[in-house]
Amino acid sequence: MKKEFFTKLSYIVCGAANIAYGQVLKGLIFLLLEMSYILFMIISGARRLAQLITLGDNLQGMTFNEEIGIYEMTAGDNSMLILLYGVITIVISLAFVAMWLFSISSGKAARDRYNAGKHNNNFIEDVKSLGNNNIRFFLLSVPVVGLVVFTVMPLLYMILMAFTNYDQDHQPPGNLFDWVGIKNFITLLSTGDRLSSTFWPVLGWTLIWGFAATFTCYFGGMILAMIINSKGIKFKKFWRTIFVFTMAIPGFISLRVVATMLGEKGIFNVLLQQWGFTNAALPFLSNATWARFSVIVVNFWIGVPVTMLMVSGILMNIPGELYEAARIDGAGPITMFRKITFPYMWFVTTPYLISNLISNFNNFNTIFFLTGGEPHTLDYYKGAGKTDLLVTWLYKLTKDSNDFNLAATIGIIIFVISAIFTLVSFSRSNSLKNEEGFS
Amino acid sequence: MKKAVIGLNIKYLSKAIVFGLLQFIALFLPYAKTTEGYKNMPAVARLLMVSNGGSALNYVLIANIVFTLLGFVLLALSITNLSKKIARVWQCTQAINTATQLFLLFASKTILEKGKLATAFLNKDLGFGYYSGLLLAFLTLVFVMKLNETNTGYIALTIMGIIWMFPIVWIVLTSLRAEQGYYVGYFFPKNLTLSNFTKLFAKDSVIPFGKWWVNTFIVAIFGCVLNTLIILATSFTLSRTRFRGRKAFMNVLMIIGLFPGFMSLIAVYNILKGLGLNQSLVALIIVSAAGAAMGYHVSKGFFDTIPRAVDEAAIIDGASRFQIFTHITLPLSKSIIVYTALVNFLAAWSDYIFPSMLFGDKQSSYTVAVGLYWLTDFRRIDRYYTQFAAGAVIVAIPIVILFIWLQKFYVEGLSGSVKG
Repeated sequence: MKKEFFTKLSYIVCGAANIAYGQVLKGLIFLLLEMSYILFMIISGARRLAQLITLGDNLQGMTFNEEIGIYEMTAGDNSMLILLYGVITIVISLAFVAMWLFSISSGKAARDRYNAGKHNNNFIEDVKSLGNNNIRFFLLSVPVVGLVVFTVMPLLYMILMAFTNYDQDHQPPGNLFDWVGIKNFITLLSTGDRLSSTFWPVLGWTLIWGFAATFTCYFGGMILAMIINSKGIKFKKFWRTIFVFTMAIPGFISLRVVATMLGEKGIFNVLLQQWGFTNAALPFLSNATWARFSVIVVNFWIGVPVTMLMVSGILMNIPGELYEAARIDGAGPITMFRKITFPYMWFVTTPYLISNLISNFNNFNTIFFLTGGEPHTLDYYKGAGKTDLLVTWLYKLTKDSNDFNLAATIGIIIFVISAIFTLVSFSRSNSLKNEEGFS
Repeated sequence: MKKAVIGLNIKYLSKAIVFGLLQFIALFLPYAKTTEGYKNMPAVARLLMVSNGGSALNYVLIANIVFTLLGFVLLALSITNLSKKIARVWQCTQAINTATQLFLLFASKTILEKGKLATAFLNKDLGFGYYSGLLLAFLTLVFVMKLNETNTGYIALTIMGIIWMFPIVWIVLTSLRAEQGYYVGYFFPKNLTLSNFTKLFAKDSVIPFGKWWVNTFIVAIFGCVLNTLIILATSFTLSRTRFRGRKAFMNVLMIIGLFPGFMSLIAVYNILKGLGLNQSLVALIIVSAAGAAMGYHVSKGFFDTIPRAVDEAAIIDGASRFQIFTHITLPLSKSIIVYTALVNFLAAWSDYIFPSMLFGDKQSSYTVAVGLYWLTDFRRIDRYYTQFAAGAVIVAIPIVILFIWLQKFYVEGLSGSVKG
């Protein structure tokens, strides 16, 4: 079995088996990819991986140049670029491993088909199969490459950053940063420190906000949809359109507009004074409690139409006989809502509700455009305000104070929170699938 | 006395009458605290007539009294001689009456101060008669509507509708306002003008709004086409084909999706800088297309509902998978294609974080979101507020039209996402 040797060989020399079993061009492409990877590793990859261990040793600084007798600026290592290139190298290596595994299995498949006396596709047939049995390679290639380059790789980079001390005191190129292990997590999650005494209140408000924003909009939208869809309301389309207006306008516009309206000299304060409700401007966005209340109310204004539209479709699916039967039994509208409409809605929309909850924890736009996280407070780590969510704080940490390590740490914590809620949602929907459904 | 009338729900008549009577009585209870102590509404009206000055809003007060009296007459008529016609007229009167009564909550200060009956008036100076009258007017309206078998949801819809439209009306009025500046002490502009709009597009304007709009439009069109193609391709593959690693791939996408999206933007920015693409619109299009695959859920949920038998029949007829995709699946999925395209088109108009990071202070590359946000910065807001409003209106109008036009598809997609 001379050819069997090639299958073994293909563990080291990619594509050997393919060449041996008649898929020459395919095998050569594997080989070419392997060679270019090895070449890349020799030229720069290996060095980049090695640098990843220390994240650079040479500080930028002044050295005395003996020849001309003056101090010269020497470029030091740039930890940020080292980390970025390191991550790129890791991703390329992972891609290579995937290619390697694929080439081995491809080689084995070629051997098996050969031994079974079947025809092995030549290159042209392989290309043609991209439109048919192997369509996944054709249709998913662009999305996967895009995701790897612009999502996975950057994400990996930021995740690694959570384990460094890349804060405002360690800014490349002037300074180096280094691995610090899980120190950032400990600082944030412990108590007593200024950072942790910012983190816990912000986390608390994020959770309160998430639940308040989700459930106010959920019930508000449901009630609105029920009113519009109830019998005897004419011009349903007209009413729906009125509410859809707020939803159709891009979020940043309506939020910025409302934010300017809520200002100290904004139209709301002007009118409230003119109408005699108050004689001094109300601190809608400048007092912590007021501001928190305001953002929930404004979010209600924006969020209710979305729920309304969604719920409208589901409401029509509720079997009408249920209501008929309830009416004959003498149930009032409130009883019917409690016993029929709500249980049905709750059953259908739980997954939506949970994903909505997660997206509200991460509702950057509403907070950022409305308050920008303000009002500021001296109790918090600089920059963070009383209406800041974890995401907006994360944004500020990267944009204003350059504490990338903290931002990354918070990002991971947000991930953990979202993951927990998703798992809850999954286990719930699985348990529901096993039942007979709403009955 | 109670006899059935077709089209009327007679059992609510007694309640409507009781509350109507009470409301009528409340008219003679104290309305507001004037400089001469609490006065009821007719007394205030008499004082307003003799006092010089006063405002046009006085007529609201008078109208309110007239309609309360009218309501009382109709109430009396409906006791003696109830007919469908009378009930309808009563409902109409009561609705106007409730509206005027409610309107007085906002107008009393102006009426009384302009009429020189009070100074530094606050709504807490409104008397028991007013507040009980307001409450009773609402209750009467509710029961008269029930008597007429009209859906009382109209009351809630009207009030909510006004609240919901309020900011929109305000921004449209501001965009037409001739008086510049952020702070004005009134709702309706004193002078109307279109110059806020023309200034945005003027050649010598400080604000390159036309450029911003074109930038956003380009990004939106490209983003719409590319993202839709990518999403459809991804969801087709994940829905209609089975292969090893499919589940794993979907799980990876889900896990990536749980990270806050812009956490990685710093790194993306550095990568783009490395590619020499920073500060360009191409970068914006590429990055949004690169992440598009994550939004495959809705269309996958839709594709899942197309019977597999259709595919199998096509395969027997010798169609390739790609032909199935283009000739069978896509034509069956018009609504979801429109939905995906619409969502992606709209997303480009609202996207703020990444463009703002990407373009920094290069104003000529801004998209409308970044540009308009930049205009509402506290250093500029006073100067450019009306132009900001005009810009907001220009951006919003086409999108609102598009949205309302394609609302049907949006709803389908939305309820699809609930099911899926």
